[in-house]
Amino acid sequence: MILTFPHMGNLYLAGKILLDALKIEYIIPPLSNKKSLEIGSSISPEEMCLPFKIMMGNYIQSIQQGADTILLVSSCGPCRFGEYSELQMRLLKKAGYSVKFILADLPDQLKSNDHICGLDALFNETSLSKPQITKAVLRGIRAMNIIDHLESKAHLYAGYEINRGESKKLLKNALSTAYSIDDPHGALAILNEYKTKMNHIQIDNNKSPLKIAIIGEIYTVIDSFSNLNIEEKLMDYGVSSSRKLTPSWWIKDSLLKLIKLNGIDVKRFSKDYLSYWVGGHGRECVAEAVMAHEEKYHGAIQIFPVGCMPEVVSKSILPSISRDKDFPIMSLVVDEMTGEAGYTTRIEAFLDLLERRNASCTI
Amino acid sequence: MYYLGVDVGSVSTDFVLLNKNYHVIEHLYLKTNGKPIDAIKNGLSILGQTYNDKQILSVGITGSGRSVGGYILGADLVKNEITAHAVAALNIDKNVKTIIEIGGQDSKIIVLNNGIVVDFAMNTVCAAGTGSFLDRQAERMQIPIQEFGDYALKATLPLRIAGRCSVFAESDMIHKQAMGYNTPDIVAGLCDALVRNYLTNVAKGKDIQESIFFQGGVAANIGIKASFERSLGKKLYVPAHYGVMGAIGAAILSAETKKTNTSFRGFNTCLSSFNSTSLECQDCPNCCEVVTIMQDNNTLVGRFGDKCGKWSENNISASGDK
Repeated sequence: MILTFPHMGNLYLAGKILLDALKIEYIIPPLSNKKSLEIGSSISPEEMCLPFKIMMGNYIQSIQQGADTILLVSSCGPCRFGEYSELQMRLLKKAGYSVKFILADLPDQLKSNDHICGLDALFNETSLSKPQITKAVLRGIRAMNIIDHLESKAHLYAGYEINRGESKKLLKNALSTAYSIDDPHGALAILNEYKTKMNHIQIDNNKSPLKIAIIGEIYTVIDSFSNLNIEEKLMDYGVSSSRKLTPSWWIKDSLLKLIKLNGIDVKRFSKDYLSYWVGGHGRECVAEAVMAHEEKYHGAIQIFPVGCMPEVVSKSILPSISRDKDFPIMSLVVDEMTGEAGYTTRIEAFLDLLERRNASCTI
Repeated sequence: MYYLGVDVGSVSTDFVLLNKNYHVIEHLYLKTNGKPIDAIKNGLSILGQTYNDKQILSVGITGSGRSVGGYILGADLVKNEITAHAVAALNIDKNVKTIIEIGGQDSKIIVLNNGIVVDFAMNTVCAAGTGSFLDRQAERMQIPIQEFGDYALKATLPLRIAGRCSVFAESDMIHKQAMGYNTPDIVAGLCDALVRNYLTNVAKGKDIQESIFFQGGVAANIGIKASFERSLGKKLYVPAHYGVMGAIGAAILSAETKKTNTSFRGFNTCLSSFNSTSLECQDCPNCCEVVTIMQDNNTLVGRFGDKCGKWSENNISASGDK
């Protein structure tokens, strides 16, 4: 078995550390780019969401390098994402690729399918003992937590750092250095080392940069290719940004869901505007907008792919929040277009707007 | 002594010269024709016949071609269109509350309060209702675009045309033409459809208050203006230089950036030839399409289009872009 998995932001690095620790053979697809999107859209339904198409591209690029099994986290999920595994398997089959899917939460209805298996199929592949497997999994999760920590700190410090660009550079170095090491223990040590470095970046607490919350659909907010690098752009402008949705958050939320303790904050902050779970992370989006206002952010940017149902619901609620709380929120819809001109214009104009509200001046 | 403002848009490239009181002394409206660099050179050569470099105090640039254009001109300020349009309108009327701007490929709404932009929106994924579409339809119906609006006003019964998508609008119009309806009614129906599309798509959820400015190339179309006024029940004000408001805003903003000397490269820049070569960087899977622009084959103007900054970090920094 040669395993592969789709990209989502920097998650590939945690995946690599996990699979290295499990001693399972794997192929990481090339970082999502125009090519993967092109390949993916050529065999995906036209009206399908952007993440689906990018993921299809990732699979095929991996399969071409020899991968035969795909690891995916969810099925029967909260939005169209729940249909990804089955639909993707059928489409791949139609295109002439025969692959197996391993799903982290395999529902009973799919168990009769020979090509879909649960996580046990993954653990059967490794020669490790059960305690060793547990250790490896924990190591993977630990790596993911550190990467999320590094990202969030870098995005926050971008507005406060004394040497402009330092946090961005540190984040990039951390990722590339850790990626080059195949020993999971070593890679984790590198990440820890960078965590310390990141915490010691020189910052100027007297600065008062713009602070923006990134909210919206989970894949497109995390994945820099699909959101045209918005977080990096904000870092370049010296704006502090933060987002609540991270892979670590997702794991925590999924585990809490098992004991029905998830989303306590979400329910509390969204109660005035949306009292139902509308699928995906639509309710989270609404709650995060309210939270961002209470946490004294200057504004929020919502990002979602064309046709994302849950986010369409929250998009229509956001203007009410914006009006009630006098809190600017901008929605950005991403699709297969990679031309950045209109996108950059919106971001720049939004930053101008926030800046002028802060200190009224012409420029 | 003048301030130069340039707006490099999808359809037109506009130049304005403002005097110290921000009055328009000269304005040019040139077709971009998909070649922004040539349009900029063309504008410089026309202005260079009457004015010299020493008269230019500052240069500001806006529009979708602003980043590359900024390097070619040596602009003191590079700014997005939304801010530029707002500044230009505010210069005319401090109490403007809403700006409706429809250009070649975008339509925007800008909401202001006490002279500050408080909200804005642009068309998202569809360009139905923008200048290019109107141009195309005028051409198809063999009506000169300048007279398009007059036709609409002659209508007795504006027909219902689907305005949600430009392709469907076109099929609807062809159908109505085939049925034998007369042209003014179809044109008026199209104007209504585009306005409906704008109000439900771009301006959805926005509070449109007076005074309302209507600017951008499409403001020339009195049919669209009338249709807006009918749907909103409010008057629209079309400023005298509606077509070059972005350039005016850029010029004003450049005048207000504190800078001692302009970095303007001079009108003679129009004599240079600019060549661009593109390559796909293979150093990482991002595969950025990097474009290199050379002046007269020997001076590097800049490199653009990379994500990591490896190619563009050596560019002489263009000022003011945010």
